[in-house]
Amino acid sequence: MNFDLDDEQRDLASAAGDFLRGAASPADARAALDADDPANAETRPGRSALVDSGFATITVPEDLGGGGGSLLDLAVVAEQAGRVLAGPSFVGYARAAVLLAGDGDRLRALAEGSAAYAVVDDDGPTLDAISADRFLFLRGDDLVCGGGAVTTRAPMDPTRGLAQVAVDGGDVVAGDARLRWDHALRVGRVVLAAEGLGTASRALEIAVDYAKERQAFGRAIGSYQAVKHSLVDVYVQIENLRSLVWWAAWAADQAPDELPMAAAAAKGAVSTTLEAAAETLIQVHGGIGFTWEHDAHLFWRRAKVDRFLLGDDVAAYDEVARLALAAAAASSDASEPSAPSAPSAPAGAVAR
Amino acid sequence: MDFEDTPDEAAWRSTVRSFVEEHRAELGDRRGRRTDGDDVARVRQALLYDGGLVGVTWPVEAGGQGGTPMQQAIIDQELSRAGVPGLINLIGIGMCGPTVIHHGSDAQKDRYLKRLLRADDLWCQLFSEPASGSDLAALRTRAVQTEDGSWRISGQKVWTTLAHVADFGIVLTRTDPDVAKHRGLTMFVVPMKAEGVTVRPLRQMSGGADFNEVFFDDVVVPDSERLGDVGDGWRVALTTLMSERLTLGGGGTEIGMSISSVAQHVARRIGDLSSDRQALARQDFGRAYVDTLGIRYTGYRQLSAISRGAFPGPEASAGKLAGTRVARDLADLSVRLLGDDAAYAESADGSTGWQDAQAGLPGMAIAGGTNEVLRNVLGERVLGLPPEPRADKGITFKESIR
Ligand SMILES: Cc1cc2nc3c(=O)[nH]c(=O)nc-3n(C[C@H](O)[C@H](O)[C@H](O)COP(=O)(O)OP(=O)(O)OC[C@H]3O[C@@H](n4cnc5c(N)ncnc54)[C@H](O)[C@@H]3O)c2cc1C
Repeated sequence: MNFDLDDEQRDLASAAGDFLRGAASPADARAALDADDPANAETRPGRSALVDSGFATITVPEDLGGGGGSLLDLAVVAEQAGRVLAGPSFVGYARAAVLLAGDGDRLRALAEGSAAYAVVDDDGPTLDAISADRFLFLRGDDLVCGGGAVTTRAPMDPTRGLAQVAVDGGDVVAGDARLRWDHALRVGRVVLAAEGLGTASRALEIAVDYAKERQAFGRAIGSYQAVKHSLVDVYVQIENLRSLVWWAAWAADQAPDELPMAAAAAKGAVSTTLEAAAETLIQVHGGIGFTWEHDAHLFWRRAKVDRFLLGDDVAAYDEVARLALAAAAASSDASEPSAPSAPSAPAGAVAR
Repeated sequence: MDFEDTPDEAAWRSTVRSFVEEHRAELGDRRGRRTDGDDVARVRQALLYDGGLVGVTWPVEAGGQGGTPMQQAIIDQELSRAGVPGLINLIGIGMCGPTVIHHGSDAQKDRYLKRLLRADDLWCQLFSEPASGSDLAALRTRAVQTEDGSWRISGQKVWTTLAHVADFGIVLTRTDPDVAKHRGLTMFVVPMKAEGVTVRPLRQMSGGADFNEVFFDDVVVPDSERLGDVGDGWRVALTTLMSERLTLGGGGTEIGMSISSVAQHVARRIGDLSSDRQALARQDFGRAYVDTLGIRYTGYRQLSAISRGAFPGPEASAGKLAGTRVARDLADLSVRLLGDDAAYAESADGSTGWQDAQAGLPGMAIAGGTNEVLRNVLGERVLGLPPEPRADKGITFKESIR
């Protein structure tokens, strides 16, 4: 077993971080929110910069103009995108790459940026709809690519480009596509969780930095346990989320049987963790954290919106439970095993 | 990245598995009521030791095999999968032994280590006292050197797990009250059957009596049983505590009952609930399951890092903190599913497992560093947050207790 990124993935993350820090920032997220028409505001880096960088289409095969990489590669890049609140999301690219597998022309268009896809689910808003020029959706069991009428509303987080899309017409890309659709949705959840991991990590860093600096009653506020411990709780959640994201991305690449559980777990964990990180970021800052001027609410907006994307956290936890219980019922022996004995003191315990 | 066993790991796993299968009946079952006495548990550990499954990571001179942490993790996984009860000498293996390995004399190593691994001798850790738990360095048990060089120990220890069955203990004492409190400490090995040692079992809230208070009344210990230098006991104790980190919740090991036994219990019982209650139970279980997976895979990351030669750092405490939390959540939802039995200490069929689990877990949030102390450690050592001001800086122990 070796559960860690390899050197190439670390290099990839660092290159992606360099690019993304130069191409997007919370200041851009704020500008979108402050725009005259935030619902239709441009996001950064924006579709063409993302496609030109090559990072967005890492999972498209090389001979079609993509990077020929794994979902784990894309996940380490998406984490970097989450740190700077980049838009559009890598989720749409990842889903489109799965859905369009085998359709060389459309994949090539995705990789060169001549087509801007968004994926429309049966319910819930569509991510990055406002910058899309065509939509992928399921009609019956057919995967369809077509146009649609886009309705926007005042956004909570304009970097997500959400809208309601009424699809119509279009061409059938593939029949009998439900399995592929489900797989793409799970891949999307993994990438969404990877972005959220980056957003949560960055929020924690900002909060920790402030806690080291800000003085109250003659001491840095980070020396007070109420502050320190809430930051630690977020840290612990983030490290567990990181493990789930890597595992889920690895599963998508190497162990598809594990993907349903891993993707649902990552989706649930990212909702809970990002929300905790963003709310802690605000709280640790006190009054300044509640201002429009401060970046804290930009992270908070991501948390409050992302949890509803690709199914909400409640649905994700329910799916985890159903999968785990189904597996347990299948493996359970006929006789009722007696309950486990209590953790004896030695079984866990021990000094100081 | 990969989760597959390497060829070496796979070979080791199959060695472990075939040993466990061959001796399945003798090894006992961790499910069901705990009725085994410590003699049964000693025999079990000796059997496992003789089969090469105890202390693999210890040096060969210490009775181990010089193996890797991954080999140990594979043993843990296989024993847990087979439902073999935990080792009785856990504290000896996890804490006392490593301390002797690092700080003991050759004679001590020869005398103690192999017997410890076989559970020929059981060990306990005599650190906490009535007036010093989290603030370990505030301890008062005194050791005074006599003319012939031997030491006389007097004082009281408390919460000493296994002291009632232990043959030896490592005891942290104060040898100089006139220096700062971390500076005047010294560690010894003490025979628990020595004259002047009195052990009184303490009953836990869960009803069992696994820990004790231990009184030392002028107990004579030869200087050759000192571990580390005089006055260097704090540094010696840090070795103990560092090893403890991995024993408790490190490497993704589960705390409390196993997630698979909880899943089977929930799967069996959830149908008894109304549909709206079922939905709530699935939310609780789903959240706890996700936390369990997160902790498990974070443990795998730590294990991978250790396999590459990294030293287990304070990050490992995150596993104990989160593992204790989720174990309590799982115990809670398991008990809820007992229906009318949930409010009683035993179910109508006479089983007590889930109730016992629920009553044992508060101790896990205290033993081995309380939740609050672990959060301090993570906040200061991992996040780099400033320490709290303290009132015991720059003064001697004697001044600190005035
Ligand atoms: C099941 C069990 C087995 C044990 N086995 C052993 C054993 O084998 N050997 C041994 O030596 N000890 C053992 N212990 C003792 C254990 O290590 C101590 O109980 C523990 O370190 C806490 O010390 P204390 O009980 O003195 O509580 P205290 O230190 O008095 O703590 C009381 C409360 O104050 C909080 N607190 C203390 N200091 C701080 C701080 N700086 N910041 C914030 N909060 C703080 C604590 O978190 C706790 O909530 C065991 C304990 C249990 C429960």
